[in-house]
Amino acid sequence: MEFLAQHQLYIVMIIVLAIWLGLYVYLFRLDRRLKKLEERAAK
Amino acid sequence: MTLKIILGILLTAVIVMGFGFPLSPAPSAWYELPVIPGLEEKARIIFFHVPTAWLSVVAFLTSMVFAIRYLRKRDLVDDIKSSAAAGLGFMFCILATLTGAVWAKFNWGSYWNWDPRETSIFVLLLIYGAYFSLRSAVDVEEKRATLSSVYSILAAVTVPFFIFIMPRIMTGLHPGAKGDPEGAGPVIEFKMSPTMRVIFFSSLIAFTMLFFWMFSLRVRAARLEARHQPGG
Repeated sequence: MEFLAQHQLYIVMIIVLAIWLGLYVYLFRLDRRLKKLEERAAK
Repeated sequence: MTLKIILGILLTAVIVMGFGFPLSPAPSAWYELPVIPGLEEKARIIFFHVPTAWLSVVAFLTSMVFAIRYLRKRDLVDDIKSSAAAGLGFMFCILATLTGAVWAKFNWGSYWNWDPRETSIFVLLLIYGAYFSLRSAVDVEEKRATLSSVYSILAAVTVPFFIFIMPRIMTGLHPGAKGDPEGAGPVIEFKMSPTMRVIFFSSLIAFTMLFFWMFSLRVRAARLEARHQPGG
């Protein structure tokens, strides 16, 4: 915590990382859902 | 699948390196980034803002490629692809404008001051804004596809001029403009250390991969949508 208080840029880095990882998981799951829908539509 | 995992790792690494590597007036270790006078910590924007603009260029050119394909083959799937690419390009173009404006506030003192770079991206937004107006104005699918394909090709022809040429031949404040107060040429060629280059080009690659992933999701969703429309 003290390290983060002294090096504030790392706080920004953690925030951006969290946003990116959230987006990434979202896209990944969206991809899987679409695949299921496509398979259902193909039947 | 593999590509998606590579993208995940690559962009995560870009964020960690782009924000995490410390600046140093005289870099000695490989992970230290040089201090660029006048930019300092704000120089880190180059790892995210430039790739955002780059993504929109890739998207607009992709839109043009599928527009040409539509005009040759008259397959409506190509029209779906062309408009999906233009939509993503437009969104990332807005993001590039917004991130640039925030940076400009702290580097130039105001969010917007009609620098050549700002003016050119604004005109580009107008051009692609008109593309979506055109699409929404035509109800007949084939007619809409033909008209917007022709428009997309014409619009994409202007992209290199607005993104690459005009801001470089005119005097401006944006790094890389002619008469750039910090030096004689584009920032990416003259000011980046090897480490910065690695992060920058990794980011370009990651953003390009991100575009093609989002593009494929968008196209697949649109195709499913078209299939479930009455008469589709």
